[in-house]
This record gives sequence, C-alpha cells and structure tokens, in this order.
Amino acid sequence: MDKISIPIGPQHPLLKEPLSMKIDISGEKVLGGSLRLGYVHRGIERLAQQRTYVQDLYLIERICGICSHIHTTTFCRAVEALLGIEIPPRAQYIRGLMCELERIHSHLLWLGIIAKHIGLDTIFMHTWHDREMSLDIMEEISGGRVLHAVNQIGGVRIDLDQEHYEMIRRILKKLHSQVEGLLDVFETEPAAMARTKGVAPLSTELIKSYGVVGPIARASGVNFDIRRDDPYPPYDQIDFKVITHSGGDAWARTFVRVEETRESVNLCESILDNMPDGEVSVRVPRRVPEGEVIVRSEAPRGELFYYLRSDGSDKPARLKVRTPTLSALSLLPIQLSAINVADIPVVLAGVDLCVACADR
Amino acid sequence: MIRSLFYLFVFPGFIFQIICGLTFEWIDRKLLARFQRRVGPPWYQPLADLIKLFSKEDLLPERANDAVAALLPLISLSAVLTAGLYIPVAGFSPYSFEGDLIVVIFLMSVPTLAYYLAGIVSVGIYSILGGGRSLLQFFSYEVPLLITLSGPAILGGSWSVAEIMHAQVELGPFIIYQPLGFILAVVGLIGKLKRDPLDIPKATSEVVGGSLTEFSGVKLGIWHLVMNVQAVVGIFLLVDLYFGWTKLANPLTSVSIFIIESLIIAFTLSVTSAIFARLRIDQLAGLGWKVLVPLALLQLGFVILMGV
Amino acid sequence: MSSVNSEYLIKMIQVKADFEAEIYPGIKGDITIRIPAEQIISVVEIFLGNFDYCHLSAITVQKRAFDIENIEVFYNFWAGRSLSLMVELIGPSKQLPSLISLIPGADFYEREAAEMFGIEFTGREETPHLLLPDDWDEGPPFLSSEENDG
Repeated sequence: MDKISIPIGPQHPLLKEPLSMKIDISGEKVLGGSLRLGYVHRGIERLAQQRTYVQDLYLIERICGICSHIHTTTFCRAVEALLGIEIPPRAQYIRGLMCELERIHSHLLWLGIIAKHIGLDTIFMHTWHDREMSLDIMEEISGGRVLHAVNQIGGVRIDLDQEHYEMIRRILKKLHSQVEGLLDVFETEPAAMARTKGVAPLSTELIKSYGVVGPIARASGVNFDIRRDDPYPPYDQIDFKVITHSGGDAWARTFVRVEETRESVNLCESILDNMPDGEVSVRVPRRVPEGEVIVRSEAPRGELFYYLRSDGSDKPARLKVRTPTLSALSLLPIQLSAINVADIPVVLAGVDLCVACADR
Repeated sequence: MIRSLFYLFVFPGFIFQIICGLTFEWIDRKLLARFQRRVGPPWYQPLADLIKLFSKEDLLPERANDAVAALLPLISLSAVLTAGLYIPVAGFSPYSFEGDLIVVIFLMSVPTLAYYLAGIVSVGIYSILGGGRSLLQFFSYEVPLLITLSGPAILGGSWSVAEIMHAQVELGPFIIYQPLGFILAVVGLIGKLKRDPLDIPKATSEVVGGSLTEFSGVKLGIWHLVMNVQAVVGIFLLVDLYFGWTKLANPLTSVSIFIIESLIIAFTLSVTSAIFARLRIDQLAGLGWKVLVPLALLQLGFVILMGV
Repeated sequence: MSSVNSEYLIKMIQVKADFEAEIYPGIKGDITIRIPAEQIISVVEIFLGNFDYCHLSAITVQKRAFDIENIEVFYNFWAGRSLSLMVELIGPSKQLPSLISLIPGADFYEREAAEMFGIEFTGREETPHLLLPDDWDEGPPFLSSEENDG
C-alpha cells in the first residue's frame, strides 16, 4: 500500500494540548513521524525576567496545570537557596504532601486517558472518579483543585489542623483500595494487556542516550528518582520505594505509574504521621542577593531542572526551566516507527504528554 | 392497500422501527452510564439528539461527492427498514416468504458496504482509513456469522425467518440446541454493529470518526438512525432465530416474553461494550478466522447430525 | 552515590584530554567546570566513558547583561551529583560543536538554544524552529532587551 501522511494535531481527540505530528503510515504499519512543538509557547523564561520574584510565583504556577505545585516548589527552593534561608520543617512536609497528592492526581488522570484510548471507557470513568478524591483533598486544604497557590517564598501559605488530618486520612483510605483495584485490572485484564504488552519497547541504552527521565525511564530499568538520589526534605527523612521495571514496553510504563500511585498514597500517610509542629513560613527580604543555583525535583513526569541567577535586584536575572516532557518528546519519533496504527494512541499516551510544560 | 401502507410505515415498518431504534439507543446509553457510575441521559435524549443533528449545517469537503454522500445513508436506511419487514416482531410478520433469511442477511450487509463507500467518497484521510478498516472487519465476522445463522435454518427446516420461529413452538427454543451458535451470533452482531470491542472502524483515538468523520447535519442524523435500526433489527432477528415465539394463551404475556428476550440481548450488548477493551484489527482477524470460524463449523456440524 | 569531587574531575580531564580546566565556583548545588569551546566533545566523551549514568539534564544559556556580547553556555549533567560544563562564547561569533552524535537527546536542547540565543551548532543539520513560530522574524528573543507588559 502507498505511504500516506496523517496529521495528528494540533487538534485531535488524542491530544489534550496542541502538538503537531505528521505520521507516515503504510497500511496498518507506521513508518515514522515528525514533531512540531511551540503551540503553547508563552516565553515564560523571558517573562520571568521582567517580574519580581513574588510575581513570578504566579507565573511559574501556570506553566502547567497538572504539575503546577512542583514548579513553584522548585522555584521557591531555588530562591530560598539564594537567600540562604531554611524554611521551617512543617512547611517542607506540607509541600511534600501537596507534591505527592499532585503525583496521585497526575497518574490517575493519565491512567484514565490510556484506558480511554484502548477502548476501556469504563475504566476511564472509574479512574477519573477516583481522581476526584485527590482533588477533593487538595481543594479542602488549599482552596483550589488544580492551581493551589500553596507555596510562598519562605514557606507555605496554609496550615493543617486536626480536622484536615482526619479528612485526609479518610479519603486516602478509600483511595488506597481503589488503586489496588486498578492495579489488579491492569495486571490481569486480557484486553488491556494485549493492547499494551510488547508495544514500543524502549531499551535502557536508548533511554539513557536520549536523556529521558521519570516513569518512562524507570519502566526501562533506569533507576533514577530525584527524591532518592538528590533528596530534598521531606523525602530525606521518610522511607519509600522507587518503582522500576525492566520490560520497557507500554505495559511496563503503566505498571510503574500505577505502583507509583500506590506508593504515593503510602507516602502521604507517612508524611501525615511524621508531620512536625511549628511555623509554616518565615519572612524573607524582597531583594535576593547575587548568586546562581541549580535545583532539581521529581515532578510526576520526571526530573524537573531549574537554574536561577540573581543580580541583587528584586527580579531574577535568568530563570531556566527544563521540564521532563521535553526529553520524552524527543524520543517520540523513534517510538513511532515500527508499530501498528492501532498502537499510536497507546504510545502517545505512554509518553504522558504535558505539552504546556514542554513549550513553556 | 391501506393495510399495506400501515404495515410499511407504521407497524412493523418505518415508525415502529425508528421508535425501537431510539429506545435501544437510550437503553444502551443509560446502562453504559450506570456501569460507569454516571447518571446517564433522560429517555428523550436520543430523539433530541436526532432533532439537533437534523438542524445542523450539512457540510462536506470540497472534493467529496455530495450526491453519492447523500444517497448512501438513505440507501442504508431503506435497506435495514426493509430487512425489518421480514423479521417477525412478537410473532407477527406480514411479508415473510420462503428464503427471506437470505434476503435479510444481504440487506443487513448493505449498510456496511455503504459505510465503506461513505469513507471513500468523503475524501478525508481519517474517513478513508476508517472505511478501509470497516471492510477488513467485515471479512472477519461475516463468514462465521453466515455459518452460524445457517444453524437455526437447518434445524427449523426452512429459510424463512417466520417459519424458523414457528418451528420453535413445537421443538422449543433453538438456543437450547445451539448455545454456542447463539454466542457466536451475538459476537457477529457486535461486529456488524461496530460496537465495542469491535468498534475498530470508529475508534475515536485512532481514526477520529472513521468513515463518518466528515459527515454532519441531516446526513449524519440518518446514519445514526441506520445504526440504531440495524441494532434493533439484529436483535429481533436473533430473538426469532434462537428464542422463537412462545405462544401462550394470553397474547399480552407472549408479547412481554418477546420484549424481555430482546432486552436480554440488548443488555448483553451493553455489558460487553462496557467491559471489554477495543481489539486491534489484526487481533480481530486472528480471532475471526482462528476461533470463530472453526467454532461455527463445529456448531453447524452438530446441527446437521441432530437433524439426521 | 559516587564520591566525585572537583579535584578528581580536573585531574581526570588533565589526564585524558591534556588541558587544564578551571572550576567555576558560582553555582550553588553544582560542580561547574569551565572549558574552552573546542574541548566540549572530548570532555563529554570522557564523562560518558567514566560515569555509569551520565545524564544531560539541560543546556542552559544566558547573557550576563544585555550590553555584554559574551554568552555563557552550561551543559548541566547529572552523574551521581550535579555536574556542569561551562563554555563561554566570546564576541559576536556564536558557534559550538553539536553533541547529538554523542547524546541524541541533546537535539531539542540545542534547537531551543539556537533559536533563543542565535547560537549556531556545527555538525548538525538545520532544523525548523522548535518553540518559536515558523514565521518569527524578530531575532533571538533573549538577545533583545525589549520588555513586554503581558
């Protein structure tokens, strides 16, 4: 059969955010594809230089909807490092709690998407129903479902009381059993396994040479998790597992993410158990002394890298953000060769796109 | 004359089929919603959607052939409605004749071919892909379906649906003799209706809307009607071939039993679409030829032996 | 976790690539080694050979101030700890050898640096803009000091 080029995007049922791909297919086999980003490029790094640090908090939060909290957390850590201050431990734990809740939310959202793409609509509905639970917790604590505005330079803006603890624990218990059920489905349901096992396997060497991070890398055996390897509070004080799998195919990526969700639920409970008392923020000066700093965090999609330089004024001199989705996208054209057309949704979903993060 | 018009247009013809089609769509959507912890649409939703579709702009790409694109849904609708005339509803069939089972099967295949042509004629990439897939799928389920449906015909000693149905008044429902055949027929029906797990031609994440991606307005509304009426006609056919007509003293009870049997099949269709993930086209081809065809032949073998 | 420290790295580069690299002390949380632009490929090769998991996190580019011509390019690695290579591009010519033969994943980072700062990466084919629109004609955004309100 002839080669035809099908466009996916910028608008397509597969994509939550605009991305343009041209995929060459022949019959039911995919030959390859090319990628074009930039539809959501807002010039965040350049805009950040024109705003004060506090104004930048609002800007950074909106780089991405799903991983908004980790962006502000990393930014605040960078600024606090330049200021040379340590934020109170209670604030660190609250930040960690929100990070893990966000991870749960992101993974459950992703799980629904991949279920929908392979035709398991029912799982999609159930997963997003469970995701509502984590959103409920975040809303109760911070007032926002998706953009929480919890961080401020010097700590956090919110505090938790006994009622919050009870509410969180109650919902986490329900979430726990739901996630167990989901894990069961993905490990035993024959159609789900048939559609994901053996699809688009990625070798460890390929992952390493393309600099891919996060659950995709861990599903191919690359044991790299910033929470453990470059630890920041509260992760340096709490035990948790880093999930890896050596399969490297779409099923392995699903497995890693569902297991991570379960691990995150456990982590939330540990954070609550070990939450220290005390203040939740400290006062900080407006001007940040001169200096440069590099900070890394583990976003739901992988390693988040921030470089911040200050020239002594109240505006950053340079802010560089490298989001995990950018490296995952560079691997996408390779993943797309030598698969079936019917596997395109599975592969695309497996990348866990967050185009707003990649474009900034 | 008046009587013929009544049969053709009211019962069991046009209006009746369409009402049944819309009812089936509602039952299906409501059941699916409840399985997914949602509320589901109110009873008038399918009708409202149809009216809404009819009021929308009817647009096709420039290079598409408007005339053919308009004819295809109309031809499909008349084909399924005509097929419905030969299938006894609640034991009543004014137009049955010897050999009408073959005609019905043929007429039910017309929409599939029309669907394929609709994809070609609308010229968009996704339409062509979807159309091609529907033809590939057709070859995978149609052969086992034909083999399976010969079973009741042989057992009932006739190729007329009404006769097969009546034969079961004496012999008892054929599903008792051919349970495997019934299951295979349901699978074949799922394939014909392009429902989950066999909705490969319409897989939204892969080919957006399949053949019908570029359709809108009245044409799309008629395609929706075709899908629904096809489902209903298929269900009634299966009820007649495998459950027969239970003739009881009270006609109301007999009709109710017919309705319940139809609902059982509708329920089965909804449950399978809720539970299973979509198959890939190569997995379906494998399933069709390596599993369904041998099983169908096996069932047919039993039926012939039983007849002897 | 490796026990990598700055002396070890300088010594390794001295031995394997035969030149004296300097430590750039500015960045907190990182070991930064300043090398001349021509030595990039050889030093990256040394790193890739020496470390088990040598991961290129980002290519960070910046200008110290709008009126200064020089551009600083950091290759930020993670090799058990945060490690960066700093290259200074002096004057108006902005050329760097491309790393994609060693690290294919550097592709997107180089493209972004190219379109944002006007750096030319030699040894690779020119690709269309990654983030900027195809018809962008206002020059590399980070080189202009225009501010916008938005």
